[in-house]
Amino acid sequence: MKPAAFDYVAPHTVREAVDALGDTWRDVRVLAGGQSLILEMHMRRICPDLVVDINHVAGLDRIGLDDGTVRVGALVRHQVFESPQAVPGPLGRLCANAVVNIAHPPIRTRGTLVGSIAWAHPASEWCAIAVALDAVIEVRSSGGVREIAARDFFLGPLQTARAPDEIITSVRFPLLGGSTGVGFVEHRRTHFCFAQVAVAAAVTVHDGLIVDARIGLANCADRPVRARAAERVLIGADVSAANDHPFADAALAGDHQPVDHPFGDADLAGNRLPADHPFARAGRAAADEDAAPVDEPYADPEYRRQVIAVLVGRTLRQAVADWRSHAEPEGGLR
Amino acid sequence: MKLWTRREDARLLTGHGRYVADLVVPGCLDAAFVRSRVAHGLIREVDCSAAREVPGVVGAWSAADLSELPVCANEAAHLQDLPPVPRTMLAKLSTEDAVNGREWPSLAKDRVRYAGEAVAVVLGEDRYRAEDGAAEVTYRIDPLPAVVTPAAGAADSVSLFDGLSNVAFRGTAGEPIEEVVWRRAAAVVEARYRQQLLLPTPMECRTILAVPEDGRLTVWSGHQMPHRLRLELAKSLGWPAERVRVVVPDTGGAFGSKSATFPEYVAVVFLAVKLGRPVRWIEDRMESMSVATRGRGQDQRVRLAADEDGRLLAYELEIDADVGAYPHLGVGLPMQTAWMATGPYMTPRVHATVRSVLTNTMVTYPYRGAGRPEATAALERSMDVLARRLGLDPAELRRRNLIPPESFPYQTPTGRRYDSGNYAAALELALETIGYDAWRAEQARRRARPDALPLGIGLACYVERSGGEPGGLHDFAGVEADEDGAIIAHCGAASSGQSHETTFPALVARTLGVDEYRVRLVEGDTDAQPEGLGSFASRSAQVDGAALQNAALLFAERARERAAELWGVPVEEVEWSGGTLYPVRDGSAGMDLTELVKATGPLRVHERFESGMGFPFGAHAAVAEIDTELGVVRVLRLVAVDDSGVVLDPAVVRGQAFGSAVQGIGQALYEGIPYGEDGVPLMANGLLDYLVPTASEIPPIEIKDTCTPSPSTPLGAKGAGESGCIGSPAAIVNAVADALQIADPDLLQMPLTPDVVWRAARAPKYEEA
Ligand SMILES: Cc1cc2nc3c(=O)[nH]c(=O)nc-3n(C[C@H](O)[C@H](O)[C@H](O)COP(=O)(O)OP(=O)(O)OC[C@H]3O[C@@H](n4cnc5c(N)ncnc54)[C@H](O)[C@@H]3O)c2cc1C
Repeated sequence: MKPAAFDYVAPHTVREAVDALGDTWRDVRVLAGGQSLILEMHMRRICPDLVVDINHVAGLDRIGLDDGTVRVGALVRHQVFESPQAVPGPLGRLCANAVVNIAHPPIRTRGTLVGSIAWAHPASEWCAIAVALDAVIEVRSSGGVREIAARDFFLGPLQTARAPDEIITSVRFPLLGGSTGVGFVEHRRTHFCFAQVAVAAAVTVHDGLIVDARIGLANCADRPVRARAAERVLIGADVSAANDHPFADAALAGDHQPVDHPFGDADLAGNRLPADHPFARAGRAAADEDAAPVDEPYADPEYRRQVIAVLVGRTLRQAVADWRSHAEPEGGLR
Repeated sequence: MKLWTRREDARLLTGHGRYVADLVVPGCLDAAFVRSRVAHGLIREVDCSAAREVPGVVGAWSAADLSELPVCANEAAHLQDLPPVPRTMLAKLSTEDAVNGREWPSLAKDRVRYAGEAVAVVLGEDRYRAEDGAAEVTYRIDPLPAVVTPAAGAADSVSLFDGLSNVAFRGTAGEPIEEVVWRRAAAVVEARYRQQLLLPTPMECRTILAVPEDGRLTVWSGHQMPHRLRLELAKSLGWPAERVRVVVPDTGGAFGSKSATFPEYVAVVFLAVKLGRPVRWIEDRMESMSVATRGRGQDQRVRLAADEDGRLLAYELEIDADVGAYPHLGVGLPMQTAWMATGPYMTPRVHATVRSVLTNTMVTYPYRGAGRPEATAALERSMDVLARRLGLDPAELRRRNLIPPESFPYQTPTGRRYDSGNYAAALELALETIGYDAWRAEQARRRARPDALPLGIGLACYVERSGGEPGGLHDFAGVEADEDGAIIAHCGAASSGQSHETTFPALVARTLGVDEYRVRLVEGDTDAQPEGLGSFASRSAQVDGAALQNAALLFAERARERAAELWGVPVEEVEWSGGTLYPVRDGSAGMDLTELVKATGPLRVHERFESGMGFPFGAHAAVAEIDTELGVVRVLRLVAVDDSGVVLDPAVVRGQAFGSAVQGIGQALYEGIPYGEDGVPLMANGLLDYLVPTASEIPPIEIKDTCTPSPSTPLGAKGAGESGCIGSPAAIVNAVADALQIADPDLLQMPLTPDVVWRAARAPKYEEA
């Protein structure tokens, strides 16, 4: 587990970085947090000729706000998003809910959101959020700048529309409005491993009805998926039907120690949705129509579809609960 | 104030530990092995020429380039007081029959038999260079069909060794049971269980550094049995053992996986001698995951019969063991399961049979528990099924059958003679600690509500064996005093993290009545301690502890004799107290040990000590809740009650109980090696694919103990290192089965990953069956 020899540069400006990337005769890689790249290099699955370490480039570590969007620079670490205030409104809460599922704390202090987008792992939480929210990926090369919509960006496992000479400078997400509730639920085998399935949801509610829904699925296909069939089921659904009270049995009575419920929002589990509930139907639509799970150890497609259906339902309930507790008065509190 | 719990903590917890990889030896070369990506195939060509051109590469060899390279698992014949050696191991881990005609080359010659088997070795100025060289080695291997399961192996449609069956060993324990017994029984449980292959996963993978100097070879290795390693390496080199010194520095865990001589070790030592240069191999995680020894690996079929009162009548266990590609280290290991098949019960008829089958994976070898977890899981799963069949509470069924305290020593139908025990006391303490009745009430409450998360309570009573097998139950220990009065204790054990530096000096100091810090421990160096067996089979406290206690008593005796001689009085008139010798009669001031050795020279005692087998036991209980929509198991509580006889240091034993319980949780819920049809493990991302429980997965664990001294040694200690791996998996699986009330016990095979549990949750429940 030692990397092959490589050249290394540590530019101080984006321009210098872009110049270094322009050497298209060679395999050149950007080094951001290194939490995926270094691993691959250690296993010699990636043997770059040149590593362009962008960690010294000024200005890339910022989260900027303008015009209803939030721009996340290429050096913003996962850890920053652990605070729901890092980004305003529901998007901040969504990011905070999602980020704790990524690896464990030391890795989150190094790894970056943009690095995750660039890496395009099908199980990536950020990639699922990016497709759900129609994020825009901003790239730059010596030829200039270009914007790529998330829906066009992810082409397969670890494959993207980014050209080798392009650096991603930032990723732009639309801020979510006050009448939007968000949820993020993940299912994985241990706390630090990758998701078997993860679901991100943002639902916008008016007059007690869902008027917009965005659902992103991680590890449900060879790339992140926006669950459009599921979203369609939800439009017009009455949120009052969603029972968002956590299930009482999960918390044990008496002197038994309280137990952390680590995997997804499993404390909702006992209280199943009736099959004809719109959230249950959305779950099945996501599982049967939107997802295309590939086989992997401990999660064959049949099981994965089950998990997707369940998790979509739970995520939606979480989103409605989030909307209830945060919605602004004009946002549709009944 | 004592800053650290253990003496070694000051060093280990502040980053000052020194492991083999930390040793700096000028001019040392690093070895990297080129490993087969094919699990089973015929080697057509291995070409190292390009590797030799790589800057910093000192040499690259395939088996064809190194015809003098000794095989792995040489026969270490004609050596006295042999620790277990590969061929006819004292621990009966292999047999002459199993290895005859089956050579284990140190570099694969014409055939590879497991994915990762080394086909070439590259030496570089450092590991980077060595890997650069390894990347340039090319090979051509024509794949053969891979044998992935024991059932497939036993069919012998593909043989790992031409002309020989894949069944490399057969064994039995107990007498066959007549059919009439099963026919007349009120209830007979039949089930099949899979004890999956596991990786021992020590934090530090395997290490070896060989330094040739002045006609001798010093070998540094994180190892459990330095004397065995010395003998086997010397034999490989054709040298007398005295020319090899093995030193075990700080070692980051072993769990059984560091007690043998491995192909890589033979290659490294051979090349160090050949080149006359220091060479080391520091195994990395990915290598360890593909080529370190595996644990468990049994397909079991059981029958358990009882009368209408729940008294056990008969138990039959058939084992098809997956022993990996070479029979040299572990074909006999499943006999540990067979011999322990009786468990803690008075079952009058027990019969266990073993078939050890070669498969295309690295060798199966003892991993913490080594045969006893498999025995416990099979029996304890079946006990729960039987209880339900009979309509008895599982605790009550066990109560009716546990061997009572007055029956010891107890001769089992499978050939064990249990030394001592109070099995019922451990069970009652476990029930009380977990709050058994309250959980049963909670379970009833939940069962009345269709939307409640199902909850189950699982029990496992176990008895295991510690110390080793007859012929390997001894060790060597000594106590010495230097002229400065410091007391040095030494023994044949070798710590890979078990706190010997803390517990052994304390034991010797207690025995001598001196301050703990006056005693220092020396172990894990074959020059400083010429003979020894090592640390395996949970034996260190039981055997080496007792040996040290014995040596310390003799040491005090010798000191009295010397003082008697010095003073010209009979030895009965000299008293030893707190490190000082007193003449009993004249009441004058005593003579400190320091003065004694100044006056009479260094005092040394070195003794061989023989222990009997120990049979630790206990009862574990688990409560689990299931999210049936996803199949997630949440262990709400785990209670481990263990009896390891006389405990030397409660904190240390607790640490062992806790750590092994966590590994038991690993087997129950997380760990497994998925193989592709081509026999290659699907673990491309290392520990992201093979999941071990981390701190976040650890449920509330409560550890309690009972104390039934072992009559096998005057110290009364039994083994304490493996309990959790043995008791916990069955308790957890039983809890899940109880929660789901599944009718078919075969559906719950470890690891109970969410997909397995989700499927089991949809299967018929037993009321409906
Ligand atoms: C134990 C462990 C568990 C993990 N668990 C998860 C998990 O659950 N979910 C998850 O999503 N991730 C997980 N990761 C991966 C982690 O989140 C990485 O941090 C992330 O995938 C990549 O971010 P990075 O900044 O570390 O990128 P790097 O590793 O530096 O780079 C990754 C790839 O992206 C390219 N790249 C990076 N930045 C740019 C850029 N600005 N422009 C162009 N190309 C760029 C690199 O060249 C490289 O090819 C885990 C990692 C580990 C080690």
